[in-house]
Amino acid sequence: MATVNIQNIQKNYGAVKVIHGIDIDISDGEFVALVGPSGCGKSTLLRMIAGLEEVSGGEIRIGPREVSHIPARDRDIAMVFQNYALYPHMTVEENMGFALKLKKADVAEIKSKVGRAAAILGLEKLLDRYPKQLSGGQRQRVAMGRAIVRDPAVFLFDEPLSNLDAKLRVQMRGEIKTMHQRIGTTTIYVTHDQVEAMTMADKIVVLHDGHIEQIGAPLDLYDRPANIFVAGFIGSPAMNFIDGRIEEGAFRTSKGLILPLPQTLPSIPGGRDLVYGIRPEHIRASTQGIEGRAILVEGTGSELFVRLDAKGEDIACLFRERLDIGFGDTVFAEIDPTKAHLFDKQTGRRI
Amino acid sequence: MASRLIRRKTLDSLGLFFVAFVMVSPVILFFLWMISLSLKYEIDNGAYPPILIPENFAWSNYLKVFEENNFLLYFWNSILVTGTATLLALVIGVPAGYGIARLKAEKSAVIIMIARMTPGLSFLIPLFLVFQWLSLIGTLWPQIIIHLVVTVPIVVWIMIGYFETTPIELEEAASIDGATPWQVFRLVALPIAKPGIVVSFILALIFSWNNFVFGIVLANRETRTLPVAVYNMLSFEQVSWGPLAAAALIVTLPVLLLTMFAQRQIVAGLTAGAVKGG
Repeated sequence: MATVNIQNIQKNYGAVKVIHGIDIDISDGEFVALVGPSGCGKSTLLRMIAGLEEVSGGEIRIGPREVSHIPARDRDIAMVFQNYALYPHMTVEENMGFALKLKKADVAEIKSKVGRAAAILGLEKLLDRYPKQLSGGQRQRVAMGRAIVRDPAVFLFDEPLSNLDAKLRVQMRGEIKTMHQRIGTTTIYVTHDQVEAMTMADKIVVLHDGHIEQIGAPLDLYDRPANIFVAGFIGSPAMNFIDGRIEEGAFRTSKGLILPLPQTLPSIPGGRDLVYGIRPEHIRASTQGIEGRAILVEGTGSELFVRLDAKGEDIACLFRERLDIGFGDTVFAEIDPTKAHLFDKQTGRRI
Repeated sequence: MASRLIRRKTLDSLGLFFVAFVMVSPVILFFLWMISLSLKYEIDNGAYPPILIPENFAWSNYLKVFEENNFLLYFWNSILVTGTATLLALVIGVPAGYGIARLKAEKSAVIIMIARMTPGLSFLIPLFLVFQWLSLIGTLWPQIIIHLVVTVPIVVWIMIGYFETTPIELEEAASIDGATPWQVFRLVALPIAKPGIVVSFILALIFSWNNFVFGIVLANRETRTLPVAVYNMLSFEQVSWGPLAAAALIVTLPVLLLTMFAQRQIVAGLTAGAVKGG
């Protein structure tokens, strides 16, 4: 177990800069998720921590040790790859014991460590199978087993669940979380799925175009997103953004829609271009409030997703109750003003 | 409905069989005729209409091959030349192919190919002089060395293709697991590449075994390989078709057997399960 400190880390491919000086501090035993859309540099960052990608500038420390320029094999890390990367010519047992065999551990020790990891992951009966004889979920578990057996300073996960089907993904998500709570090894987890990040991580790092947009606890990011990007990325369905200005003590769009403002608001000069942000789940169906016409209605049983056309603005609402709403019906939606966010249109920052 | 489906399927497989037959028939007919020739007495060879299956089998043709020539010596020469040239090619070519594939050094691959594309005769004479100067003429080494021109490029090119398709994540996983680059190659890349190694081994072997030009220039009476020996039968014995066909079949047989045996080693989908969709 160890801390990980990333200081001003940069990555260039020739003249193209993909990571622009990133700082992240990860404490011992923490579960950190790196999230962002594809191409944001999250996988590159993870591969630099792993030692699979050269560092162009800055430094990475694992524990007290500066590792930026030492080879992957000497970094005392374990990594789980998106496509599992199991050795096809080795059995599950050999796959899991490979690292120990390279360290020239004795056979009995390898057997007991592999056995223990297999017990944690429920792989005892599969030890003499080959990877091609396993299902996707089992392969993923073997890949995790291979990491556990090492007892490394840091676990690295590179989108480990994106090849699994939806149901299995939820199950494995729980298993990884349980494993982390049990073993307590510092973990860095890359994903493009914000739900994975929200449910598993102690701390989320949101990356965009090689920059950090925000670092914080999952609920912090949800409640107090630093800017429009984070606000739109975290939360599902995504937050509504409506352009407008504050005039006469209310938020008005150019088409005349009026939205309620939060009470605690610093004074904002009128005439400044703003973006109003409200999450779909913070809008209630009511008999008053915004009047709109339903242009999309999707019910899942537990909740009802409705898109409203309110004076030309497209507003997504997520209702927790069952309502009899059909296409084209007029609906009144009431916004909880305490949950509303205001962003500066120019800088994207939250006010 | 069901019967129509079955009829359709039968027609399909008949059609497939017909196409396959047309495609392989020249080879099969050629082989059958060679077998027929090797089993006929000289008198039957000139018969009209031609005889495919003779009344009396001339097994003596096969005996004659071994009696009248130093055939066993040439056989042994061929094994030594082809065996050494092929094994050396694997030792050199597999790591070379790996290096070129991983370093993306396609240019050096092209240079290796140029050596293969150059007509053998253009460098045979200078090389003959070099070998003479090294006093290697009269041994098998000149032929072994020159057969590398044939075998190494085959191995290198097949292995480049093979290593390029094996997932790099496996090697990354191994290096994270603590393997040195050499261990990554030996313990992960090499075992996975086994089917590729078998294919390149077979092809290199066939090309080397059947090579004629190098042998005819570089070999003397004691260092002849089989293709040259067969050719010499043609020139000294007028044209005695029976023993000639028998000799040609004997030359082909080892390669045929080895290919059939080695093919079993090419286990399709060995990398299945390594990575998703692999």
